Amino acid sequence: MKPGRGSLLLLSPAGAVFLGFFFLPMAGLFIESFRIYVPGSIGSKADAPFTLANYGELLTPSFAGFFFETLRISLLASLVGLLFAFPLAYWITRSLAARWQPIVIGLFVTLMFLSVLVRTYALELTFGAVGPLRPLLVEIGISPNSRGYIETLVIAGLLHYIVPMATLTLLGTIQNVDPRLFDAAQALGAPRWKAHLGVTLPLCMRGLLAAFLFAFTFSISAFVIPMILGKGRVLFISNLIYTRFSEIANYPSGAAISIVLFVVAIAIVYGMSHLVNKRWKT
Amino acid sequence: MSGRLVDNVLRLVGLVAIGTIICFLLTPIVVTAIMAFDSRGYLGPLPPPSLSLRWFQRFFSDDYFLRGLGVSAQLALLSVTISVCVGVATAFAVERMSFAGKEALISLFLSPLVVPPVVTGFALLLFLSHLGIIDGFTRLLCGHIIITAPYTIRATLTGLAGIDRSLTEAALILGATERKAFWDVTFPLARTSIVSGAIFAFAVSMDDVAVSIMLTDAKTYTLPVALISSMRANFDLSIAAASVMLMTLTAILILILEKSVSLNRVIGQGVFRS
Repeated sequence: MKPGRGSLLLLSPAGAVFLGFFFLPMAGLFIESFRIYVPGSIGSKADAPFTLANYGELLTPSFAGFFFETLRISLLASLVGLLFAFPLAYWITRSLAARWQPIVIGLFVTLMFLSVLVRTYALELTFGAVGPLRPLLVEIGISPNSRGYIETLVIAGLLHYIVPMATLTLLGTIQNVDPRLFDAAQALGAPRWKAHLGVTLPLCMRGLLAAFLFAFTFSISAFVIPMILGKGRVLFISNLIYTRFSEIANYPSGAAISIVLFVVAIAIVYGMSHLVNKRWKT
Repeated sequence: MSGRLVDNVLRLVGLVAIGTIICFLLTPIVVTAIMAFDSRGYLGPLPPPSLSLRWFQRFFSDDYFLRGLGVSAQLALLSVTISVCVGVATAFAVERMSFAGKEALISLFLSPLVVPPVVTGFALLLFLSHLGIIDGFTRLLCGHIIITAPYTIRATLTGLAGIDRSLTEAALILGATERKAFWDVTFPLARTSIVSGAIFAFAVSMDDVAVSIMLTDAKTYTLPVALISSMRANFDLSIAAASVMLMTLTAILILILEKSVSLNRVIGQGVFRS
């Protein structure tokens, strides 16, 4: 069926909303990122000439460092998150008694839905000055005033969302693996760990990559977690954009950083989905 | 046998990891819930010597928080209503199409989900100030509609995909007009999905910081933005009280979701369940 007049009428509210609140603003942001900025003013002049300086600035070590830090911490948090989420999802699906399953799954859904503010504040309380888990980190050799401590806290903040999200994503994946394949591998003499490595893991690869993708894109665009837990010493790209806007009103520079972050996020999402679809066709 | 030994060691490591991570996920929540009822006027170590509701009273006597709460509530109700209407209309239109661009159209409508929220907020701020729109509430409303609409569109699309088309066709053959078939057959069948989309959208709107912080003005700000600013200023336990109330709200939303849609449908289920 071709889109008739009725369909176009139904699409018009969404068309207006997405054009007016998203696509045109994004185009505007792109144009703004090429404007010359005069220090001291708020934003650029309406007819300011174009320049590439806002992007050139991002190649300097101090700016590139922010991008590198964001990607490094995000990658670490995503991998650690998967490392915990996989056994957790496996345990819920295969070892947990059937009557406990809905309760545990409900708990994880609640944990995933939890407000990012609540999460961040709760971690700050728990690991902060009087927090009960602070001695634990000190015990394993992380000094409370070091950058390592702050970085660990930021990773903990990201993990607090990534683990429930990845666990729930992997539940469906693991439920789709026929347990008889694993049994067959064992019957043929493979120890459990070899059977998991050779059978379970490869069959879950698609789910693992999907969970990694969610975790990684969530992390690189994180805002509240590094803003509060990072204490100004660990800054993510999102925080940098906000600082450019709120503290020095350099909109063109903020726009350039935004465009780069946007391109990185889109490239990761489409690149990885493409890879997953090509390699593991369903 | 060494294979067995490795198995047992790995199983133990796995169980320890599961225990550790569950403790890690739950401890902060328990700590916050206890601290919110702390009767001391300062931030002291656990456990509190006695319990009280002073931080809740403090929260509700603070105009700064109450104003944010009012704005957040209005904003969530208004933006979710608009997003649900837009989402339902869009999903029904897209579902009826079968031309090649359908998939592309859907990913266009879902694209705000992959754009970092700070970028969305910043772009909207620049655009609206070029247009001369500087009223805080209008700006926030625009922002909240664009971050919630993808959720309502996606949820309605999922619901429609699960409906047998022959039911609608049967109604049409039996003489119902297209409009009547929609309201009497298709819409009731899609209702649970629309509800779950609305709940998602409500949660997103109530929780957002990154978009809202860009669009607030001096007098119009949301509760999360108010909480963030006071979190940076001083570490006051009335935020713990607010956190307890937000957690309760989350739990209520999950219960509604469970009762109306069943969580199994929200998270998807595999074939080989134990």
